[in-house]
Amino acid sequence: MNVDRRSLQYFDWVFFSIALILIVFAFVNLTSATNSGVEGGMSDVVRRQGIVVGFCSVVMAVILMIDYRHFERFALLLYAASLLLLVATLVIAPEIRGARAWLFEGRFQPSEFAKITMVLVMARHFHRNPPEASSGMRQLIGPILIAAPPVALIVAQKDMGVALLTLLVAMTFLPFVRISGRAWAGIAAAAVGALTALWSYGLKGYQQQRILDFLDPERDPLSSGYQAMQSRIAIGAGGLFGQGWMEGTQTQLRFLPTQHTDFIFSVLAEEWGFVGSILVLALFLAMLLWGLWIASSSKDGFGALLSVGLVGTLFWPAVINIAMVLGLAPVIGVPLPLFSYGGSAMLSAFISLALLLNISMRRYLF
Amino acid sequence: MNTGYGDGRLSGGGVQGMGGRIFVIAAAIILAFFTFALRLFQLQIVEGAELRSRSEQNFVRTIRLDAPRGEIVDREGRVLAATRPAYRVQIIPNELHGGDRTFLALGQILGEAPSEIARRVGQPSGRKRFQPIVLRGDLGYERFAQVESHRYALPGVVTNIAPRRHYVENQLAAHLLGTIGEVGTRQLATPQFDDYSAGEIVGQFGLESRLETHLRGRAGGRNLVVDVAGREIELLDELKPVPGGRVVLTLDLDLQRVAEEAFRSVDPELPDMMGALVAIDPSNGEVLALVSLPAYNPNSFAGGIDSRTWDQLLSDPWKPLRNRAVSGEYSPGSTYKTVIAAAGLSENVINQEEEIFCPGYYRLGRRTYRCWKRGGHGDVNMENALKSSCDVYFYNLGVRLGIDRIAHYARGFGFGRNTGIDLAAEKAGLVPTKNWKWKSKGEAWIKGETVSAAIGQGFNLVTPVQLAVAYAAIANGGRVLRPQLIKRFETWDREVLKIVTPEERSRVPVSREIIEVVRDGLIAVVHGEHGTGRRARVPGVVVAGKSGTTQVVSLDLVKDMEPEEIPVRYRDHALFAAFAPALEPEIVVVALVEHAGAGGGKVAAPIVQKVLARYFEKHPPEPDPGETQVVVVQDRVAGQLGRRAGGVQ
Repeated sequence: MNVDRRSLQYFDWVFFSIALILIVFAFVNLTSATNSGVEGGMSDVVRRQGIVVGFCSVVMAVILMIDYRHFERFALLLYAASLLLLVATLVIAPEIRGARAWLFEGRFQPSEFAKITMVLVMARHFHRNPPEASSGMRQLIGPILIAAPPVALIVAQKDMGVALLTLLVAMTFLPFVRISGRAWAGIAAAAVGALTALWSYGLKGYQQQRILDFLDPERDPLSSGYQAMQSRIAIGAGGLFGQGWMEGTQTQLRFLPTQHTDFIFSVLAEEWGFVGSILVLALFLAMLLWGLWIASSSKDGFGALLSVGLVGTLFWPAVINIAMVLGLAPVIGVPLPLFSYGGSAMLSAFISLALLLNISMRRYLF
Repeated sequence: MNTGYGDGRLSGGGVQGMGGRIFVIAAAIILAFFTFALRLFQLQIVEGAELRSRSEQNFVRTIRLDAPRGEIVDREGRVLAATRPAYRVQIIPNELHGGDRTFLALGQILGEAPSEIARRVGQPSGRKRFQPIVLRGDLGYERFAQVESHRYALPGVVTNIAPRRHYVENQLAAHLLGTIGEVGTRQLATPQFDDYSAGEIVGQFGLESRLETHLRGRAGGRNLVVDVAGREIELLDELKPVPGGRVVLTLDLDLQRVAEEAFRSVDPELPDMMGALVAIDPSNGEVLALVSLPAYNPNSFAGGIDSRTWDQLLSDPWKPLRNRAVSGEYSPGSTYKTVIAAAGLSENVINQEEEIFCPGYYRLGRRTYRCWKRGGHGDVNMENALKSSCDVYFYNLGVRLGIDRIAHYARGFGFGRNTGIDLAAEKAGLVPTKNWKWKSKGEAWIKGETVSAAIGQGFNLVTPVQLAVAYAAIANGGRVLRPQLIKRFETWDREVLKIVTPEERSRVPVSREIIEVVRDGLIAVVHGEHGTGRRARVPGVVVAGKSGTTQVVSLDLVKDMEPEEIPVRYRDHALFAAFAPALEPEIVVVALVEHAGAGGGKVAAPIVQKVLARYFEKHPPEPDPGETQVVVVQDRVAGQLGRRAGGVQ
């Protein structure tokens, strides 16, 4: 635990501020999303989230104190631990609405951490095995071996949203392999094959339904296309400046049971309007781009690769979630980082942020 | 340090390096967010404006359409829990324009003071303004029609029809059905309830809770364009709710009704009896009746229970909310002798012919244990011991077996563990062993405690449903079945989803021959001369049964009192367990009357008899063989009596 004075001096206030503004905004929004209903009822959610954020901040502070390069050394150990947790979940977790993904009475979702440890190992792998043009498809063996165990275990938990997410996060590293156009075509074909297999084996009836509804909303307008439709009306009702905080007519009726989790963005869009939504999108974009800047300014290969992977852990859930809420993607249960209610996802987002800050503040140590 | 990516800044990386790749990623991210911005523009500015352009003041009102909860019906399709429409009048504060006129007009129609309505609406601010306030949750149709026809004068008032749970038979089978209520804040915080929203109705106890996912259905909704006066201009879209699934129980409403009525006091001066009754089909474990009294009316929960009724139910000393049939733990009393008899024969510590002399008491060391019959039963063999419920015979048998062997057989008959019935409140009872006493009390087992245990007193605790399962095992030749409440699951339009199959959980550690010997003893209880179960006889059917009477307090406490002087809570419990027809059993009935103040044969047997009589009225035994059966059995009983008499001579 050495905190060099220079690291403190180079603390990345810009990145920190962007994240802080987003977190505050998210909190205000969650308060509104859960304020309706029975007196004193859902405010419980806000209180819990407050505790979670407090705890996450402590975790963040601890991570900042440890030089991130230590994580390269312990990457495999952390990865193994998270796989073990996934196996444990599969064995001992109770089935909650079709999935076995939560431990400790539904308070802890190990798959959120598997994402991060996978990124650590991935960055370590690419750092130690720089791509060579000659090695071709063989370069893919390592990354596939790293990504397959967590993805397979999460698929076995029947948590398809998170499985897909983990796969996409792993694919963030694809630009770092150097292979020919023909090979890319091969990968695409394999991906299509994998998706087909996932469709027929992995997805439950209602999940297939959602995707079909998305592809053809007219197919069965009275069915699961409804969530998306409702979300769309709420967003439309927002208009340019929004209905105002705590004033959203659609939101307050709590039409979407998941409006404080998966559909939190529709609350934001209704109450803060186009202006507010664009602002949040801009902040998110700024945060991600700043993360990439951290990657490019890191003089250490591991730091740079890790930064890119961490940006992936924030980007993919955000992009899938917002696309889903905006009706651009099927309804997949993926939370919006920092905004959705939920402890594990929040902690995982904080760990990503903390590691990025960590890499940024140690960029002059070389 | 060379990483192969050309360490360095974005600018310094070059095409081969990191920078180029990162640039590609950045471009992809920007593209994604740009798409989102365009989509938001389309939804919020283009479409949003279109929506609002219909009128400056028009807005979309979203109405939730609750799904009707699934029906619960008995085995013959008779409805126990239904959903009926309830007419609701609500006020949306935000849509009130000068509330006074609305309150005045509405007050006239509803017969309520306008100031009272104004008080209930209050002055909500913020988002509370949009939440409908329910003025009347269950209005009569005529009043409702009046409100409907005056809607033009009532801006801010919304009427609708919401489904409401209705228990057709009121308190009948109340504990089995359970209750519903608003989802609690603690429940909402758990993942099982994360697709519920505050205020939604969920099953809270009994089958309503156990079958929640099946019964719930899926709520729908309606988006309406409403004008400034709250009039509906246009229906934007609608999603019809999907009603919850139907559940067909194994319960027979006729038997349930007869059983509950049997507990009613004949003398209007006296209070109704309390207790429990369980009737099951021994061939498959189907529960035909399940009674717990006193009960409550589940309809008082359907529209949200008022706090006074709730407090009354909670503070009632006789605990009407408790399901005595599955969570009431009682001493089994003499009904336990059946198990002891089977254990004794299986362990060869006795045979069915061996006679034990009963002088009316049993001595162990310095203590004396009395038989219920002061004068004693004289020489008794197993059949007579069961028939006359001789305590001394079983004291001897119990001591020969020892407590741990008794426990082994008790567990074998399903005591001491949950029966697996689909009710969450089930208790496991208690089968004492030496080890148990050492662990829980830190004391060694005393032999005298074995003496008490042999007649079902002492530490033993059983639930009525366990007794029913144990007697069903005797009736069906040794199979311990899971009591089954549900026959099949159906969709709301009666498409069969799943048929529940019987489940054998274990077999009793007793041979078929021994079970038959015990069964013959139980026949003698009912049909033999001076049998304690005479009051359970049903014309034309052979009944096998066993009575039981259990002390609630130590005898010393009440020994000097006349029966009528004993306070109700000190009076004995009465039990009776029976099955019939004895040789090919179709039904097992166990009745327990709390604080009956009299023996099981006197109080509980008549209740069992009424249920059996009703059952055989519905399913008449084939007349001819039935009567010969009775004759045969009575001959056999008489023959054995004669043989014994002969032996004495």
